[in-house]
Amino acid sequence: MNKRNAVLHNLGRAAITILLALGCLAFVLPVYTSLMMSLKTPAELATTAAWSWPKQPSFANYSEVLSNPNVSFIRLFGNTALISTLATLGTAISASLVAYAFAKVNFTGRDRLFIVMLSSMMLPAIVTMIPTYVLFKELRWVNTILPLTVPAFFGGGAFNIFLLRQFFMGIPKELDEAAKIEGAGHWTIYSRVVMPLSGSALATVCVFCFIYHWRDFMGPLIYLNDPNTQTLELGLATYNSLRAEQWHLLMAGSIMVMIPLIVIFFVGQRYFVKGISMTGLK
Amino acid sequence: MSDRSLLSRLLASVFACLLFLPAQVRAETELRLAVWDGDESLRVLSQVVDEFEAAHPGIKVRLENVDYRYFFQRLLSQIAGNSAPDVTMLDPQNMQMFAKRKTLLPLDPLIGETPSLRLDDYYQPMVEVFRLDGSLYVLPRDIAPIGLIYYNKRLFKEAGLPLPDGNWTWDFEPRPELGIGCFTYCMKALTKVGANGKIERWGFAPSWTGAFTDTVAFSQGARYVDKPAHFDRLNFTDPRVVKSFEFVADLANKRHWMPSQTELSSVVQATAVDLFISQKVAMYQCGIWDVPRVRKSLQPGSPEFFDWDITIAPGYKDPKTGVVTRAAPTGGSGYGILASTRYPKEAWLLTQWMAGEPGMRAMAKAGIAQPAIRRLAQGEDWIPGPNTPIEQRYPANAIATDRATEYVVFPPTAEYWTEVSGLAFSKTEPIYLGTSTASAALGEGQRIATARLKTILKEDKLPPFDWRIGAVSGILILLATVGWVYYPDLRTKRTAVQRQENRASIGFLAPWIIGTLLFTVGPMVYSFLMSFSKWDIIQPAEFRGFGNYQEAVFQDPRFWNSVKVTFVYTVVSVPLGMIFALALALLLNTKVKGMPVYRTFFYLPALASAVASSLIWRKIFQPEGGLLNTVLFGSDSSQDFFGLKMILGVNGAPPNWIGSETLALPSLIIMSLWGVGGGMVILLAGLQAIPEFYYEAATLDGAGPWHKFRAVTLPLVSPSLFFTLITGVIGSFQVFTQAFVMTQGGPNDSTRFYMLHLYDQSFGSLRMGYASALAWLLFVVIFAVTKFQWSLNKHVYYEGAS
Repeated sequence: MNKRNAVLHNLGRAAITILLALGCLAFVLPVYTSLMMSLKTPAELATTAAWSWPKQPSFANYSEVLSNPNVSFIRLFGNTALISTLATLGTAISASLVAYAFAKVNFTGRDRLFIVMLSSMMLPAIVTMIPTYVLFKELRWVNTILPLTVPAFFGGGAFNIFLLRQFFMGIPKELDEAAKIEGAGHWTIYSRVVMPLSGSALATVCVFCFIYHWRDFMGPLIYLNDPNTQTLELGLATYNSLRAEQWHLLMAGSIMVMIPLIVIFFVGQRYFVKGISMTGLK
Repeated sequence: MSDRSLLSRLLASVFACLLFLPAQVRAETELRLAVWDGDESLRVLSQVVDEFEAAHPGIKVRLENVDYRYFFQRLLSQIAGNSAPDVTMLDPQNMQMFAKRKTLLPLDPLIGETPSLRLDDYYQPMVEVFRLDGSLYVLPRDIAPIGLIYYNKRLFKEAGLPLPDGNWTWDFEPRPELGIGCFTYCMKALTKVGANGKIERWGFAPSWTGAFTDTVAFSQGARYVDKPAHFDRLNFTDPRVVKSFEFVADLANKRHWMPSQTELSSVVQATAVDLFISQKVAMYQCGIWDVPRVRKSLQPGSPEFFDWDITIAPGYKDPKTGVVTRAAPTGGSGYGILASTRYPKEAWLLTQWMAGEPGMRAMAKAGIAQPAIRRLAQGEDWIPGPNTPIEQRYPANAIATDRATEYVVFPPTAEYWTEVSGLAFSKTEPIYLGTSTASAALGEGQRIATARLKTILKEDKLPPFDWRIGAVSGILILLATVGWVYYPDLRTKRTAVQRQENRASIGFLAPWIIGTLLFTVGPMVYSFLMSFSKWDIIQPAEFRGFGNYQEAVFQDPRFWNSVKVTFVYTVVSVPLGMIFALALALLLNTKVKGMPVYRTFFYLPALASAVASSLIWRKIFQPEGGLLNTVLFGSDSSQDFFGLKMILGVNGAPPNWIGSETLALPSLIIMSLWGVGGGMVILLAGLQAIPEFYYEAATLDGAGPWHKFRAVTLPLVSPSLFFTLITGVIGSFQVFTQAFVMTQGGPNDSTRFYMLHLYDQSFGSLRMGYASALAWLLFVVIFAVTKFQWSLNKHVYYEGAS
């Protein structure tokens, strides 16, 4: 009986591993293809299949992208990192505050106000772009990183608030009730109970937020027109001009733009796992 | 308490720092020059700008480059915000749009003061196309006829043909007796069929099938509209036009001398140049802008190299009269000065420099653009001579570009051309795919486009938008929203605890409330008000009442189709994506080795650049030699392991995923599954939070795996599922990027998502008022759907809920 179970168990594990490996293969393929393309010369790109192994892998495209004086990769990298870091910081602070109110404070009209909050996601940004631009222009914020970072400190976006709210709702109420009995107010519960238990949720939000701002195109496109203040995604677009695409450079550039994100995701995900393990208190 | 003060101090200091950043003082005159060039021309331009700065001390120039696809969105925002650049690149159609709205400075007075500048030096059609009511608004920079044929000399020799001299002609039948003089015969002679009947090489490929059809139609003397600048009649059913579409479709689908739309698989990206470089076509049609790319791929001495050159496209020889007529669909660009500039004198200096000899000599040398100054286009900077470095000697026959300018035909410049022609041409895609006859499709296109044209031309006299009423309505809307939130609870008794909770909530909600009041409410209300107006972003809005909404629901020929496409996408992709994400999360939640690596791999597609992945997806979906078809049907696409061909409705030929009307939307849905990484991470975090002892307890009760999943996993992960459902639906109703970069809404509008339609209306046709109405209709739908989904909240299990 036990033996049969063990065999089944092992078979199950093997099946899972095979499924995962196949899935991985499919999911890695697009990035693998960009990588292959980035190692080829333009002529080889035009004459071979996109995913074939390069005849002579070369990093020439990478050095060309790095040394292009008109699209200074290093400077754009710095700008992008600054914007993404500030926006992530702002989101982590403000979204967690707002989400706490929606999850743990029982105020009048809470659920309807929450829908109102969500509704800011429901209107296509294209039609608010012009008035928003004019607003930031009047504040003299155009051509600075302010339009891309300051709003993050004021709410951090409905998506992040919603995500954190869902996590906070999962924290057993016994915990905050116990704190309340000891005379703690909401600020104490937020900072001493909820936040310490929400490492995984915060890590998730931070990683998402960082990635979002790192890859944002429309925001920098509209607000940053000085080449020196721009971001990597805008820089990459230079290699993707409508009638003069330079796929070899575009691929090399996009791989380099991706690497920091892979690192951040890989490091950040360790914290995703450390869920709300305290729920075991029950 | 200390946390609170620390936090507020931190916020305050960050905010204070940021406020002082933008203060900058500049001493010199700084001009801003907006261009849409790619990397290669940008290198040349910045060099030219440096030379300009050296020649004009005290003037600094900031080069602001952004791709054509986004150029006007940015320029329009800047014009609306009164922060437009001083000088901007423009093409004929956009110049008309801006000049009509008085945003450009007329150049004639400036030219009058500048004796050194002679307009006679420029190609005259290029000058004429930049005039409005007699005034010149843009100084031409380059002229770009698509009337060139790139050809492979080696393959001509192999086929025993002499090299073309540009005097060739075509008519609907090949004329072997004319030899090289007959283009269609050359196409046939250069096509190589393998032993198995498979085409190994085509004689000819167009960069864009549509551009070739235009050439064919125009050279017979046909035009799509009656008056280019302000047309009120369409000629899509002109017999010459119908015959041209038929002819081009037959060349590909029946005669196989040119790759079909399927084989080109180029909804957006032209692959003809790649086919040419890899010698799979002997000639292809394009403008001069492909030269840098061909040069780079075919460097003399490299293994890929073969001898190549250009010549002009053939003319049409009337079989009865023997008269030859030629035409080349043409584009081009120039520089204009914004009327808002503070430095018109300096801006004029820059414009002259960039579009004049200094700028265009450099562009010509780099082989990027044919100068609009004819002298330069005939000079040694453009035409290779004995002293030209070897890598710049191709194409040797660059003088063909000068000859091509004799036959230029510009696209109509009326600003409604984009929309009207888009409607008609979306109907013509089935002709190339071989699923409709030319006369039927063009008849349909003509009918729909004419109806739309009538609506557009019906100019109503509208009163100006009354901002007092606007402001009052704005305030009323805000009050109504606040009322909706608080009114239902107004009667309930406020206990002391409730009051305390309300007070506490204000502190926590403060950032969001302030942010919303500062940054969100204003623009949202503004766009709502604009949905009742006619507003082109530049001129003052006019009041249109419910006209926009009425137009959307009852008149707009693309509205209901885009609703349908978006609805299908949402209904299929959201549940599919959630199941996928949950399955992946469950797999990854087992204790397998290397989990972090797996997880990162599954998240990779969500990290990749959208543009780069769109290209790769096009390659994956490519019908011939594409990865998907190779996996499904074998490398020669003759296999059918899974019996899929029947299901997909294709017989024999491999499915043309994104190029087919029926499969394009499913392809985009398949593609969206590669983006489930985000959902997976969220669900995984939810799964990981489930305490082990729940499962242990369930095991003790004798529950099997399915029961455990139903009783433990599903309820405990339901908050995360609920989140992915709500945000997934909101997101997919607004799906845009995939279609924007991959299909542009085609074929035949089968992937024209609601947002794509909205985008075209807003920044494409300058109908921001109408676009706002579309946006608010979408808002109402999403709001209703979300409100409905919210009723599911009851079934969501929150551990912390009271």
